[in-house]
Amino acid sequence: MTRFKKLLLTILISVSPLFAQVKGGITVPYIDFPMKEGKGMYSTKGKCNMCHSWGYTLNQGLQSKKFWQEKVMKMILIFKAPIEDKHIDEVVNYLFENYGNGELE
Amino acid sequence: MQRRDFFKKAIVVAGSAAVGGSTIEAVETTHPIDNRKVSDIAFPEKRPLITYSDRPPLLESPREVFTSALTPNDLFFVRWHMPLIPTYINPNKFTISVNGLVEKEIEVSLQELKTQFNQVELTAVLQCGGNSRTAFKPMAGGIQWGIGAMGCARWRGVRLKDVLAKAGLKKEATYIGFNGEDKAVYNKTANFVRELNLEHLDDDIILAYKMNGEDLPYLNGYPLRLIIPGVYADSWIKMISNITVTKEKQDLHFMEHAYRIPDNSCECETPKNLFKKTKPIEEMNVNSIIGYPVTGTKVRDASDLVVRGVAFDSGHGIEKVQISIDGGQMWEDALLDDDREGKYAYRTFTYAFKPKSSGSLTIMCKATNKKGESQPFAKDVKWNHGGYKYNGIDEVTVEVV
Repeated sequence: MTRFKKLLLTILISVSPLFAQVKGGITVPYIDFPMKEGKGMYSTKGKCNMCHSWGYTLNQGLQSKKFWQEKVMKMILIFKAPIEDKHIDEVVNYLFENYGNGELE
Repeated sequence: MQRRDFFKKAIVVAGSAAVGGSTIEAVETTHPIDNRKVSDIAFPEKRPLITYSDRPPLLESPREVFTSALTPNDLFFVRWHMPLIPTYINPNKFTISVNGLVEKEIEVSLQELKTQFNQVELTAVLQCGGNSRTAFKPMAGGIQWGIGAMGCARWRGVRLKDVLAKAGLKKEATYIGFNGEDKAVYNKTANFVRELNLEHLDDDIILAYKMNGEDLPYLNGYPLRLIIPGVYADSWIKMISNITVTKEKQDLHFMEHAYRIPDNSCECETPKNLFKKTKPIEEMNVNSIIGYPVTGTKVRDASDLVVRGVAFDSGHGIEKVQISIDGGQMWEDALLDDDREGKYAYRTFTYAFKPKSSGSLTIMCKATNKKGESQPFAKDVKWNHGGYKYNGIDEVTVEVV
């Protein structure tokens, strides 16, 4: 092999592009997780689902009022969810009435 | 415990809670939920899996997966914390940066990782700390996983140590923080950053770009993820693009509040008496799962049934797996594979027998590691608030016809 060819081959190897096994990226499917009908559903839907799917919420399981209260506060304080103070009770009550275990704590 | 008894007990518990007179805390552990079906919609590069959420994607592997030492990439579970994950990454432009207390801040491309560093490969189990959380009663906070938030793969990449060495750690360097490309919807939300004390850095911690010989699936962290064999998945950062070296611990929600257990010898507490001092979940408990048969499988009386499953721990290695078909009175050794995937991998086991009488038959498996630790019965697993580190003896119930 001539020096030139060798050089060319070296260049080709070193700049050979990497290919992902997926061409042009992926599309994550939308999955519908229906919410239970109840007072405060639309308000809760707007506040929770703007950041994550309803599946993430409902798959926490049926929980106590204290649990839902703490979750909502965690979303506000730690994850900076823009939920105004006056709406906190509405969201917590919707969650507890529809995804509660009947226990206050 | 028989299913019937459990329901009876559950009713009693619920009743006492309703009248509010009981002072006994209703803490108990059962078998995790085991009858969930896979979704009819497949996620990218995946076969249909048990689906808890699409944003962020949360997918669980069905039980049938746990018969082989390596979990196929398209059946491997998925768990993200942040809902915005890049859906396209250009592998020719992707880099990982190292900054903070280093001699020289660097950016390393994928191509450089693949050509300028020692390439290493190891097989390791990746398991969510909350795997099997549905076992805990009262229900612990977090995604209510069944048994399938785990998988085992052969990871290929480079040693984290070598990449850090290229940047050169300064003398006062103590912690290394890891950040990936996933983001929250609001830019005020902190990223899912994890950190490691440099004391824990060893040769087995790698930055992996291949999983079972293929590129990582996007949902498992393409193009690069951190592999920390032997510990739960919470620090195995996906789509890792930055490493920051610091002297002090960063103030990180996901380090200080999430993935923590009571810092006492039983790692346990009760809902009304939470243990104040906590520690990271870290080392994986010894565990085993039956992949075949599954509950509801019909087998012929006196036909040869071969039970298959996987066992693992945090890297001490599996000493034995035992099977019981009489409710846990008598145990017999299962056959183990030749251990070729190494100490951090699944050890597969098989156990052949002929069911003798017709009706329901419960098959249990129990693993013991080389340190002598073995799995407790499900009911004896102690409760913790996050529902972490469950490792109760697994069981399936078949119909002998």
